[in-house]
Amino acid sequence: MYLKKIFILLSFGGLLLQSCSKLDTPPSDFIDPSKAFRNIEDMDLGVKGAYAPLSSTLIEAVAIVSDEAMLPTENTVSNTSAHRWLYNSSSGSVTSAFYEYYVVIDRANRVLEAVPGIPVTPATQSRLNQYQGEMLALRAFCHFELLRAYASSYEPGGMGIPYMKEHQLGYPPRPTVQANFDDIDTDLRAAKDLVPSGFGDNTHITKTAISAIQARVALYAKKWSDAITYASEVIDSEPLAPKNDFPKIWKDESESEVVWKLGRVIGDSRIGAAFFRETGEIVLYAPSFKLINTFGTTAQRDDDVRFSSYIQYAPTRPAGKSQYLVEKYVGGNTSYRGLADIKLFRTGEMYLIRAEAELENNSGNAGVTAAAKDLNDLRRARIFNYIDQSFSDKPTLLTAIYNERFKELAFEGHRFFDLKRRNLPVERTTQDAVNTSGAVKLEPTAAQYCFPISADEMAINKNMVQNPNY
Amino acid sequence: MVVNVYEYGDRHQRSFLKCLLKTGMILLFALFLVSQAKADPVGYSQTAIVKTITGTVIDENGSPVAGAAVTVNNNQTGVLTAADGTFTIDANEGDDLVVSHVSYFTERVRVGAGNRITITLRLNINNLEQVVITGYTEYSKGKSPSAATQISAADINKVPMSSMEQILQGRVPGMSVISSSGQPGQGAAVVIRGIGSVNGSSSPLYIMDGIPIESGYFQTINPEDIETVTVLKDASAKALYGSRGSNGVIVITTKKGKKGKLMVGYSSQYGFSTLTQPGFEMMNTRERFRFEEEIGLETGRDIGPGWRFSPKNPNYAAQSAQWQQNADRILDSLGQINTDWRDLFFQNGSFMEQQINLSAGNENIQTYNALGLWKEQGIVKETGLDRYSLRSNTNFNYGKFTAGVNLNLGFSTSRFTYNEGGTGVGSPMASVYYALPYEYPYTPDGVFHATDDGMGFYDTREGSRGIDVLYGTSDKTEQFKTILGLDMAYEIVKGLKISTRAGMDLRNSTDQVFINPLSYIGSRQSGGKGSFGEGFRRNLNLVSTSGITYKKRAGIHDFEVSGFFEYLYNNYRAFSYRGYGLDDRLPETPASITVSSDFLPALSGSRSNSAMLSYIGTGRYTLLNKYSFTASYRYDGASLSSVPLKNRWHGFYSVGASWNVKEEGFLKAVDFVSVLRLRTSYGQTASPFGSSFTYLPTYSANTTYNGQQAIRPSNIGNPDFDWEYVDEFNAGMDLSLFDTERIQLVVDVYNKITRNMFIDQPLSATAGAGSGGTTPLSSAKMANKGIEFSLSGDLVQNQHFNWNIGANAGYNQNKILRVSDVTDELPDGDTRIIKVGLPYGTYYAPLWAGVDPENGDALYYNRDGSVTNVYNAEQQSVPLSASLYPKLTGGITTAIRWRNLTLNTLFSFVSGVQRWNNIDFYNENQGYMTSNQSKRMLYDRWKKPGDNAILQRIDIPRNFTSKDIQEASFMRLRNLKLNYSIPATLLQSTKILRSADIFIQGQNLYTWTSWRGLDPENNRQYGRFEYPNARKYTAGINLNF
Repeated sequence: MYLKKIFILLSFGGLLLQSCSKLDTPPSDFIDPSKAFRNIEDMDLGVKGAYAPLSSTLIEAVAIVSDEAMLPTENTVSNTSAHRWLYNSSSGSVTSAFYEYYVVIDRANRVLEAVPGIPVTPATQSRLNQYQGEMLALRAFCHFELLRAYASSYEPGGMGIPYMKEHQLGYPPRPTVQANFDDIDTDLRAAKDLVPSGFGDNTHITKTAISAIQARVALYAKKWSDAITYASEVIDSEPLAPKNDFPKIWKDESESEVVWKLGRVIGDSRIGAAFFRETGEIVLYAPSFKLINTFGTTAQRDDDVRFSSYIQYAPTRPAGKSQYLVEKYVGGNTSYRGLADIKLFRTGEMYLIRAEAELENNSGNAGVTAAAKDLNDLRRARIFNYIDQSFSDKPTLLTAIYNERFKELAFEGHRFFDLKRRNLPVERTTQDAVNTSGAVKLEPTAAQYCFPISADEMAINKNMVQNPNY
Repeated sequence: MVVNVYEYGDRHQRSFLKCLLKTGMILLFALFLVSQAKADPVGYSQTAIVKTITGTVIDENGSPVAGAAVTVNNNQTGVLTAADGTFTIDANEGDDLVVSHVSYFTERVRVGAGNRITITLRLNINNLEQVVITGYTEYSKGKSPSAATQISAADINKVPMSSMEQILQGRVPGMSVISSSGQPGQGAAVVIRGIGSVNGSSSPLYIMDGIPIESGYFQTINPEDIETVTVLKDASAKALYGSRGSNGVIVITTKKGKKGKLMVGYSSQYGFSTLTQPGFEMMNTRERFRFEEEIGLETGRDIGPGWRFSPKNPNYAAQSAQWQQNADRILDSLGQINTDWRDLFFQNGSFMEQQINLSAGNENIQTYNALGLWKEQGIVKETGLDRYSLRSNTNFNYGKFTAGVNLNLGFSTSRFTYNEGGTGVGSPMASVYYALPYEYPYTPDGVFHATDDGMGFYDTREGSRGIDVLYGTSDKTEQFKTILGLDMAYEIVKGLKISTRAGMDLRNSTDQVFINPLSYIGSRQSGGKGSFGEGFRRNLNLVSTSGITYKKRAGIHDFEVSGFFEYLYNNYRAFSYRGYGLDDRLPETPASITVSSDFLPALSGSRSNSAMLSYIGTGRYTLLNKYSFTASYRYDGASLSSVPLKNRWHGFYSVGASWNVKEEGFLKAVDFVSVLRLRTSYGQTASPFGSSFTYLPTYSANTTYNGQQAIRPSNIGNPDFDWEYVDEFNAGMDLSLFDTERIQLVVDVYNKITRNMFIDQPLSATAGAGSGGTTPLSSAKMANKGIEFSLSGDLVQNQHFNWNIGANAGYNQNKILRVSDVTDELPDGDTRIIKVGLPYGTYYAPLWAGVDPENGDALYYNRDGSVTNVYNAEQQSVPLSASLYPKLTGGITTAIRWRNLTLNTLFSFVSGVQRWNNIDFYNENQGYMTSNQSKRMLYDRWKKPGDNAILQRIDIPRNFTSKDIQEASFMRLRNLKLNYSIPATLLQSTKILRSADIFIQGQNLYTWTSWRGLDPENNRQYGRFEYPNARKYTAGINLNF
């Protein structure tokens, strides 16, 4: 009977050895929410996590739907309906940014909500302030980007976008554009007081970067004197790049005049991939002839440091393929073509903001003179052998400023919104529209003049209102 | 007879040839025997001579049947067969020997001139005395209320499909089996009685010899080793598995050794597989040129040389005579090329299977051991599956003490095609259709060009890019699987038995993706010098079950009670890396990788654990052998990774009753009805959790900014997350008619309600969870109700000719009953909607209103019924009366036996299912017309006013509408097998052979469908450049020594 005894011992022994503690399996691959933000170091990780999802989606979308890029015949591989203004609420190319910026906003809000619980010492207080300021400014910036893309118009009564001041699972409605501008202003002012002036990492939001954001916001809000003030703050602290340094900015070899950029390292997504597909060597979108021609004659192009920095002329490419390529985002590492930091704010833009604001803010000659000076100062910094130009009236100068914005800020995500700011149509030349099946002019009355709110959001959030005519 | 055991490693090529040679010799030998049979016919004589007959009773697989009763002319006296199936009986020539056994159909054989006889019995699947094996209990069918279907080895063995669950298609009423791909070794989606969960698992629980095994990983398990598969469908059986049982339980029993002398079985089959025709055709060169010319004429767009060099192009006339001459020459020479890209990507795949088994046993120990070898090439070049499997089962029987050790070792190598189902240029399965017919990968000098290379090709090189990927990459998975189980039982006093079981299911998968640095795709890898990546996945399941069972029969009372304690543990770990900068002299090895800042490798991995503790009680009481009542209760506690602590413990139960009507006095004497049974059951089960810590609002560390460490929120979480409960009612009837159970009918009806169903509530963008961000709710409710039946009958039943026809089907109706507190509908992916009152899987799209004959506009219906040419998914989408999950599934079988020849046929069908045919979106889309397009784009496109066309004017964008949701019902001639058994009388003279069969068979021979895509059978939500199921032909032999 020894067998029996052994057997009973085995089976019931096994039974008794089991216990409930075996069910207490802690998370192995996730951070428990109670341990996410314990101290100032964790906050640093959270701040970086908030910057992480910022991408070039809007920059790409703006290039594709505006007149700065053209669709070459060789691009048989990508979905080109956005370029042909055929997008609707189901088109990810123009709706995905709506999700992306709210991800950043939510992460910023979570960090902000953790601030009161972080133990501080006098030594770490300034760091905590900096993080708090960065997150407030980042939140404001993201809402502003959403506003630029999805507001029904930039007029105070236009439909804005929900402004998220805390992490919340809700179904918010659309406030007015004016309400958005007020919230953005409040956040930026608070942020400016918190970020220490000594903080100078331009892959993060510095005090100067906050001024730059404020300047751009003021331009869209048509608060001209604010725009002058904030743009001047940036210009004073971050001068324009010398001509020799300018091409290096785009190879990430110079930080000159780069106020805020998104750092990109090997393994990150490549902004250049939006314009050129390495696999198959296909130019997806080329610089438009309209843009190229704005740079003038061949001699004028050679004098302008921007032309060769932004546009590559490749006459040796096979017949039938685009001879022009976007050079701006080729980047500095030949093994990783298209990998480049994403420049969000540069001093060049500040000159143009100030010029436009001065022109609008002052009546008569004073405005024209001040604006013309800023425009000439910028051109002189960009063009060899430049001779200052004089402008007789406001409309001419405004056109010149707009043309300069077209060149200076090409492929930086502005053109479409600049046109929208002044209610101007998007117009392509016949040469640029060869493959667009007739998409030559987009009138401000067309639905596509504003990006649509995603169909998913419309389905889920019953309080959301779609932009007109979709 | 010498038995060849396969050698692996570098000698395996030689051993394969040896094996081939051997098979050939055996075939020759068998043919010799057949010719002998013709030369020496067996005569009959009516003279009554009393003589002693020595015989053997075997089953359809050639295994001996022990305990079969053999009588002469149905007399009361007779003998029982011994453990090796042999018997000796006195009879007269001309007498009928009647052989009967509880598990088999009774067989009558006339005594001839010979003294030796071999009788083959056919398994009676629906036999009264058969037991329902649940893994915890083994109640006889007459006393079990369960709705269970059993499939025997005869229907599983020899089918040329490597994955066991695929073989079950069309065999089990109410069970839908839809393959995930035609890739050899790929599994199938198995759904029993309708899909019961939206976000949880819908896969049944698989139990092999009492050990739970992973679903979806059957490619290392040899179906030849399977004795029976029992599918448990109703609550009375499933509730024993509590929180894991709601999707049904598939209980697999492997072959065991039998008492008797050493028996050796050998089987071998060879064959090949071919590509089936899809429901569409791509343009050839002539058509493509015409298409390009038409597009040029209609829109002015240049989409290829057919227009660029066309004399109809206004530009042509403006050019010099020399240019024109050159243009004509280009078109003429391109016109000479007409590539059918299927020839370049597909092949006829070869197939080979070898299997050898040894079994033996005495009173105390019985053992079954088998080795299997499987080599299969896919129909897509460079794909295939090799499998080596070992099965070893040993049973110990020492009176009160019994034990068993079951071991399965399997190793498989799967070779996949890179990026199957992908739509990018270069995905081989998409390139077949993207590639232009006037493209050819090689220039006349034999040089391969993946891209233009400055050669000035007039095509897009999309086909060549696919060829580059096909040969420049390899994607393999090696899987090593061990299933080990040990069970012991001891009978303390009569009827009181204690038992314990421990088991392990361990899988190691190694995934390898190699991108050759010399290929074009290799030059496009990070760093430009190819890449090599490996992934290691290990999944470990442990189970320990201990319990006690008491059985007693006292007069009219018969009862059985059991209690068990069970512990389950799962551990999963994964790790993968990918390195760059390879040296082309070192292919397919990590030693080739360069690690530097220029060639930055990528690493990732994960870990997870879960566990469960359970207490199980179950009992049965039977009165008068007629009325049975069963009940079970299982108390499950889940680990922290599954549910919040407050929802950890939950009880599951079932009650059941069955009435054996045949035992009643009024029916006992009715010979016409041989079986009549009524069954019913009700109970609650749950479905397992899909992933870990879904309820917890967690953060993850796997993110960076500017190369620096960061954290991010990962889950949204839900602190109230709870189990997903399924309540199920079942009522059924088993009926057999005539004394030989010639006609058998099983009918079941069920009603299954899933409560607390997991729903991913989509969130507003403002919640910051990103596009597709959701929060998990346990708030929904869904019903599946249906009816299923199986009917089989012998149309002809006599000694030399038997014709059996069977049909089974399950009809299921699914309905969403509740979504959540805040909404009655939710989007489900891009194309479907979850909406109260509609079946789960309902498509949601704007209705297609055809093409305007006047101007060729695409027309859509607005929700108010008006027709418009403006597309607006948001405003126009409506739920379609079409669903992703089939309503009706089943199979039709026929078996015809004439003397030693049998013909078995299986048709399987799936009906009431619609799928998203996404291939049309690529093949019939002006946005992609620079790639090749389907013939419909040429012939059925609107061209001029008055055309009643299928496809819109060429410049109108193509949008997703109801026309993309297409009927995917099909009926398939799944298997056709012709088998010749060499007469036993002939084999007796060989002394060593007990049975020998030669067979030929075809798999997926024909498919009836209106589906326009590649293969109607595919469990993905869309049909798009997938790997289609192949048609297979094989021939083989099966010998028993």
